[in-house]
This record gives sequence, structure tokens and C-alpha cells, in this order.
Amino acid sequence: MIELKDYNLCFRFPEVHEQAELRINFQRTLRIPDNDKEYPLPPGLGNFPLEHVDDYSERVPERWIEHGGVMLPMYQSEALWVNFSGFYPFAVKVATGKINAVTGESWKKGLNRGPQDYMATPRQPWLDGYCVEKGVIRQFVAMPLGSGYSAEEQITGEAEHGGLQIVVYPLKREVFERRYRTAPSASRFLTGEAIMCVKSVRSAAPDMGLAPGGKMRQEIYDDPNHLEDWDQRHSSRCFVHIANSLMWKDFTGNNPPTVPPTARQYSKAGLPWFDYYSDNGTAVEGSDILSKLKSVVKLGKEKGDVPLPENEPAEINKVVKLREGLKKHQVREGSF
Amino acid sequence: MNDFGEYVRDRREKLRTWDSSFSVRQVAQRIGVEPSYLSKVERGETAPPSEAKVVLLAKDLGEDPDVLLALAGKVSSDLQAAIRKRPELFANLIRQLRELPDHAILRLVREVRDGDW
Repeated sequence: MIELKDYNLCFRFPEVHEQAELRINFQRTLRIPDNDKEYPLPPGLGNFPLEHVDDYSERVPERWIEHGGVMLPMYQSEALWVNFSGFYPFAVKVATGKINAVTGESWKKGLNRGPQDYMATPRQPWLDGYCVEKGVIRQFVAMPLGSGYSAEEQITGEAEHGGLQIVVYPLKREVFERRYRTAPSASRFLTGEAIMCVKSVRSAAPDMGLAPGGKMRQEIYDDPNHLEDWDQRHSSRCFVHIANSLMWKDFTGNNPPTVPPTARQYSKAGLPWFDYYSDNGTAVEGSDILSKLKSVVKLGKEKGDVPLPENEPAEINKVVKLREGLKKHQVREGSF
Repeated sequence: MNDFGEYVRDRREKLRTWDSSFSVRQVAQRIGVEPSYLSKVERGETAPPSEAKVVLLAKDLGEDPDVLLALAGKVSSDLQAAIRKRPELFANLIRQLRELPDHAILRLVREVRDGDW
């Protein structure tokens, strides 16, 4: 079952194990510059608000109600990362517009390997984008569905689904009892309000899709378990609609969050970026399909568009090194 | 009859055995009250603080805010507002459910609905 609590999707499988819980939330973050430079991890600037689509059934598009699930607001060209927390192991599949963000394949049932089309928590703490190369992702950036930029549209030629889709599978009870203990998790959240700036944006189409933005160093870890260790008889899935922030007030009556700072403003303010190391994890290979996606800036040039204004490179002066297994407040300061 | 104060002191002292930042002074500082005031609250010499302070205290001590509010004899204002907005509906619901065992109430929790896609 899935509950929505404080802007977190809380997955629980008490019928599998009393401790089988996973929390997923979506973090507001900086858009990293879309050039060929690889950046470290940007911070989490707070959860995106999440609402049940059913609570606003009179105002949201009808097909959102058919899908069920939840919705969150993003501005055009705003970025997002997906945060996983909880110590009980889960296999998590994430798709955008029903295109798997790890393999680039269309949404399909069950967990698959060769290539691995899911992520294994808690070893995988987060996902910032599309797995384009081993150890490199292209950041999730929101674009209006129908504008041609989203991964879905580039791969299928259609703007049918948009949003984000998630399905999770718990580890089998016997495997958990035999093999696992709790472990602390790394943290890349900033407390307190980041600098605000207001930008004018163009489109007000309600449906947004996710498109590939700038490049970031991030590994999708190989699953350390066997495929049979996952309990595929139990799963929960959720459709996360992405509403254009300009429509959010019409839909919900609430203001959407403000636009995050640019990477350059953030770095200039001396705020930290993050690098994450797992001594134990090996990374999956990148997806051929996804590596062929054109980044938002590249596609924009072809269309004669400037979809990402303020795309100047940023100086990365402060990088905090995070390591799997360190206690939450135990980080090693590093410089880049 | 100092449930709130005793609970807070118990919890804070337990935390202080692992982490010295849970002294009366430091907790008071973090939630924005005088240490002498917090001390009095723990000893039951003065009434529990406002809703806002109780919530800050709960977060600092890693406690559920609603549990601490209830001990303080309060109900969170967002719950009050929800009930006031549709009083008959919610009053009826709560009265009907008040004796139901925990596991039965937990099954009523609102799930994220999955549809067709």
C-alpha cells in the first residue's frame, strides 16, 4: 500500500515484513548547466509538494483521474531528483512518460536483468536522471508535454503519458532476515531557504514531461541481490503527474514553490555540491537508447529555440564527499 | 499529574545519555525558550507551552507532534480546522470510530489510488 504523508510516498508491505517500508520523495534542486561538462550532485532544496489527484478531480485533466496517483508542480526547465529512504531493501523501477530511466526501454512488467531495469535500495540512495553512460546521468528537467523535448517524445515520437511512473518490489522476508541489518544513510539536503529568484516562463499547458538536461556524475548500482530474492508477488505502483507550476494555483488553490537559484548563483554563494562513493557498489552500464537522447539545449538549438535560459557554466568550489555507511552528520569536506 | 512534563524529561534524558546536546539548556535554546522555563515545564510547575513550541520540541526530540500535543492537552490546529470545516462529517466519523481497535483504524488509512495506465 502507498500513503501520502508530508509530501512523501510511503510504501509499506506489512504482509511481507513489519519493517518493509520505503519512502520516496521528489526533491527540488538546481538545474545543472547543459553543456558537456560533468557536474557533481546538486543539493536537495526541499520536497516538491505532492497531492492526490482525486482531491482536485474537478480541476485536473480527466486522464489524470483515470491514472490515479499524485501530482507535483514544476516550472518549465526546472529540475528534480528522486530520493529513496529506508533500510529495508526494495527494487524500484522509475520511468518518465513510461520510458524506463535506467534502460530507455518502454515500461514493462516485473524486474529484469541483462540489462538491469531497476534500482536496488538502500544501496541506491537517489536518482537524478537518465542513465546515459556508466557513472553518468543526464538530469531530469521538466518540459511541456508536446514540445518534443521529453525522453518519451524523443524515443516514441508520441506525447502520450508524461509524468513519472514508479513501481516498487520488496525483498523476500527470508532473504531480509538472513542477510540484512539496518544502515545509516547519506544526506545531501540543505536546511533553510535557498535564495529565491522569479523568472518569466512561457507555456501553460498543464502536462509536463521530463527531458534530459545537463550531465552529472552518478552511478546506478548493480543489484547486490539475486533476482529471485525479490518478492515479485507484492508490488505497488504510482503515477506521479507533473503539473505546470503556472497551473498549480488553479488546480489546488495553493502557490507552487518558488523557482530555485541558478547553479551559478548557488556556487557563488559558497554553497556545497556533493560527491557520493560506495565502496561496495559497482555500476550498471549506460543505456544505448538513452545515450542517444538529445539534451534539452542541443535539441533546442536544432529547433531554433532557447529552452534553458541562464545556462552559463558554474564554478564548483565546494564539494562535500559523502560515503555509503557514514553516519548522517559524518561527512568529509573536500575541495574540487 | 504532570504527564507532559514527565514525558518530555524522560525522553530528553534518554537522548542525553547518547548525545550531550540534549541538556535542558541546549534543547531550550534550539526551540527558542529560556532554560529555566523548560525546566519548570518538565517539573510541572507551569502549564505546557503553546502549540508552536510543543511542535518544535517534538521535532527536536524525535517525537510525533500529535502525541506530544495530546499529552499537553491540545489538538493540532490543522486538525481543528479540518473538523470545523465539515463538523458533522468529521464529528460523526470520529465518534463512530472511537472504540475501534488500532489495526482496524489503520486499515482505514488513505491510500494513494492506482488507476489505469
